[in-house]
Amino acid sequence: MRKPRSYAALLTTLLVLAVMLAAETLVVKIQTTQLRKGPQYFSQALAALKAGDRLEKVSEAGGWIQVKTSGGVVGWIHGSAVQATKLNLLAMGKSMKTQATASEVALAGKGFNKQVEDSYKAKHADMNFAGVDQMLQLKTVPARVEDFLRKGKLGEFRGAK
Amino acid sequence: MSAPRVFVAVLVIAGLGLFLAGCSVVQKGADILTSQGKMSQKDRDAIVKTSEAVRSTFSDISEEEEYFIGRSVAAMILSKYPAYKNDNLTQYINLVGSAVAVYSDRPEIYAGWHFLVLDTEDVNALAAPGGMIFITKGLLRRCRDEESLGLILAHEVGHVCAKHGLQSIKKSRLVDAFRLIGQQAAQRYSPENLAQLTNIFENVLGDIAEQLIERGYDRKYEYEADRLAVKFGAKTGFDPSGIMRFLQTMVGDSSSASGKGWFKTHPTPEDRIASLEKEMASLGSLPKIEAVRTERFKQYANSLK
Repeated sequence: MRKPRSYAALLTTLLVLAVMLAAETLVVKIQTTQLRKGPQYFSQALAALKAGDRLEKVSEAGGWIQVKTSGGVVGWIHGSAVQATKLNLLAMGKSMKTQATASEVALAGKGFNKQVEDSYKAKHADMNFAGVDQMLQLKTVPARVEDFLRKGKLGEFRGAK
Repeated sequence: MSAPRVFVAVLVIAGLGLFLAGCSVVQKGADILTSQGKMSQKDRDAIVKTSEAVRSTFSDISEEEEYFIGRSVAAMILSKYPAYKNDNLTQYINLVGSAVAVYSDRPEIYAGWHFLVLDTEDVNALAAPGGMIFITKGLLRRCRDEESLGLILAHEVGHVCAKHGLQSIKKSRLVDAFRLIGQQAAQRYSPENLAQLTNIFENVLGDIAEQLIERGYDRKYEYEADRLAVKFGAKTGFDPSGIMRFLQTMVGDSSSASGKGWFKTHPTPEDRIASLEKEMASLGSLPKIEAVRTERFKQYANSLK
């Protein structure tokens, strides 16, 4: 006769299988963004997200992905803001011990980073990084873009009177 | 079923999962097994790691790395041409550019999209990786309406979406860089590794600058950016023929003989117009120009000194 413990173990196996086939974890790859109420850029913001945040995929529609945050909030994020780690069986076994994967590098902030930029900057004092920092200071928030579209009868406001 | 047999079954299922699903799913399964004490942390890490691809091409450059490459390319551009100081115009250019970026394939980018006017009469527009886009005063003077400006910025957004800048990096540099980066376990680079990586970084920037500023992208990239400009521009609601109105001002232009900027780095305007006509014909109904947009464009264009 089977022990109840074995049934519990079997159930665990099935649960693991179900989770593996159903859930997919995505990682936010851009500095900051928002979880949105609907699958549109100008949809209401539900929560602030930042690089490295993990999200669970729920569904997908036209470039947008419905996700659940670790805090349990469900909303939408554009596919260009998240990274799903890739599977490459052909790469398995090939110099695995000496190379990092894309997601490891992204999560660790390794690769071409601030430290490399600083080192480059020290060698090239003539490069105008101050100008770049100034350029990046100007933030065009979604609400202003939406207003611009409305006034110009663009985007969702095409054909408006 | 005994507990060890269940464990084997779980492992088999995990192995199957490797073949069936993406790595994050494998990671999830491995995490669960680890949390239940059925797999050691070491084994979990090994499974997750072998299920991921090592980096080999431009498409493996992370979003953050693209941003740092783009910053240095932008610093190069800004040391060649100063920024044009006109806050109202800068904000307007950013609104037009952001509008087309929202309807592009990449509305979200590491540090957001940024647009800047360069203080030069050269006719040119440039896109650094990571979404830092430049348009010269000389080019702005040739635009007659917001549609032309929108389509030119959409062409540059297209270069960034298709990662044309990153594609101009020589493969051997990426191989060297990825190997060096992968070897480093610590968060910060040792002085020796940093010096090597900085040298590679310099060469990476050199590859991009050569294509972007000196020689121009491969023709096929320019035509691809034109196709994307029509796609993103029309989705935004701009009349895509705006780009042709600009290109027509370049046909037979005597300054083209100077070999500067745009003329040196782009296919001839006649060839681009012919290709754009085909592209637009394939799209059917297209948005029409709106007076309200041309009016606001003129208001800002008049502030050009």
